[in-house]
Amino acid sequence: MDITLGTFLALGAILFGIGAIGFLVRRNVLVQLMSIELMLNAVNVVLVAVNRYHPENQAGQLFAFFVIAVAAAEAAVGLAIVIGLYRLKKSVASSDADQMRH
Amino acid sequence: MNAWIAISPLLLLVVGGLLTMLVDAFSKEGKGEVATVTAATLFLAAGVSFAALLNGQDPQDVPEIFGAYLATDRLGLFFDVAIGLGGGLSALLAGGYLREHGLERGEFYILLLFSAFGAMVLARSTDMLTLFVGLETMSIGVYALAGFRRGSPRSIESALKYYLLGSFAAAILLFGAALIYAGTAHTDFAGIGAAVEGGHADVKLVLFGLLLVLVGLAFKVSAVPFHMWTPDVYEGAPTPATTFMSVVVKAAAFAVFVRVVITAFGDEMSSSSAGGWPPVLAGLAVVTMVYGNLAAIAQNSVKRMLAYSSIAHAGYILVGLAASSVVGQRAISAVLFYLMAYTVSNVLAFGSLILMGSRGREAVSFDDLAGVGRRHPLAALPFIIAVLTLMGFPPTAGFIGKYYVFSSAVEAGGGFIWLAVLGVLASAVGAYYYLRILVAMFMKDPIPGEPVAVPMRSGSVVAALVISGLAVMQMGLMPGDMLDLAVAAAEQLFAG
Repeated sequence: MDITLGTFLALGAILFGIGAIGFLVRRNVLVQLMSIELMLNAVNVVLVAVNRYHPENQAGQLFAFFVIAVAAAEAAVGLAIVIGLYRLKKSVASSDADQMRH
Repeated sequence: MNAWIAISPLLLLVVGGLLTMLVDAFSKEGKGEVATVTAATLFLAAGVSFAALLNGQDPQDVPEIFGAYLATDRLGLFFDVAIGLGGGLSALLAGGYLREHGLERGEFYILLLFSAFGAMVLARSTDMLTLFVGLETMSIGVYALAGFRRGSPRSIESALKYYLLGSFAAAILLFGAALIYAGTAHTDFAGIGAAVEGGHADVKLVLFGLLLVLVGLAFKVSAVPFHMWTPDVYEGAPTPATTFMSVVVKAAAFAVFVRVVITAFGDEMSSSSAGGWPPVLAGLAVVTMVYGNLAAIAQNSVKRMLAYSSIAHAGYILVGLAASSVVGQRAISAVLFYLMAYTVSNVLAFGSLILMGSRGREAVSFDDLAGVGRRHPLAALPFIIAVLTLMGFPPTAGFIGKYYVFSSAVEAGGGFIWLAVLGVLASAVGAYYYLRILVAMFMKDPIPGEPVAVPMRSGSVVAALVISGLAVMQMGLMPGDMLDLAVAAAEQLFAG
């Protein structure tokens, strides 16, 4: 099998899809956080792979580093919010945050 | 004017942010000075940008690009004014609110300041990279602001919902950006635009990527059907944080929306009325206006009603954005003016609500406001102006903003005329729920046994209300000044 850019895009799309489904069906906030990380890493796969096929500049590689750094900052705030939730509800299920309804 | 002056608002916020952290560390009792420094920094940034806009008569004076990542154009300066003003007023509101409700901690102002910095970066971004970094810098601060009242389950719920959906939306946007990069080999908006226009792009990948980017941005501006987080998050967050996210976050997200659709996808194929983004945005505008206004009617909480109202306003702005595919410059200048008018109007509305509550008796629902207008007429005055401008009643900023946006849609002709008609009808529906505030304040009596609303006393809240009230009336009575700036900013965007 030839490895082309399309192969990497397909891999990225599959990873992204798994992450998105995980985010939507799971109710444990920690698992949802992991799903978001999976989606961001799918993006990284695509960025780095595209850079391999367009090596004029290193935009994709550079972008991937920024994604990793920002994802870490985001996860830090996310975990702080989870701790806040756990203190009040003794649970880390997003379905327990249900005081406000439409 | 050189590039350093053009990005001085950003530098000001960074220096001001560090200074605020120092002031916070050395202040013993109360956080009044932290609020003052924060508000002063943001107002200074807004003032510097405003002066730069007024003085740089010739658009050629302003260099187009600072590096390849940040724009130093008039559009960026215009949004610096909106963000600085919105952020500074939110800081003043926080100064009164946090003390009144016993939440006084310096972190609020520091988060607000750095979040406003992220908003400015986002509004100036000319590359998917700066778009992402600016978006996250802004959002991460706001997630923390939403959960600031740590002991309150509602506040934590608000932060959790905003965080989960916000980072999900950011991931979708990022995947779209990666697909656009895969299709065009460019991450900068100008390069993407050139590749798409020159036919070097993989059209399917790029259009799918664009769709994902639009979904991500629609989340941030809370357009229906990506609005589900908005009412809960706005209701649960401390009111100054709600103010901040309803004005600053929305303005910055719309700024980058404008840049993406005009600079990166302004070519004929992507901006044709048959395919590309205009029908997508028009569809979003229709459902957003209709749903936002109808859902607002059913609310008992004023804060929640204002959340739906902010969804409806996003719909009106999307009308102008969709019309920009035909009458580009005209529609974009209307959108810019509307965003500025919306910023001051919404600060006025949330500020009035803050003023109506005192310790332990935060005014939230229509019942909380019952009869307060007759007992405290002076405190009710800002609410009256806020209601008029959000309704779009002359002679306020809201009226002029709606007039420009809808008339630009009429000028665009074709299906856009129907968008304008729908917009006018939707705002007529809006009059009903905005006027309910006045009915509650002046014609209802407090429910016996329920706590009676007593307005708080706070100099900084009053200052915020006076500034935003004057701005609303100024932009309503003499819209020419602000409109000239909006037109010049739009002109330069299309020239470059």
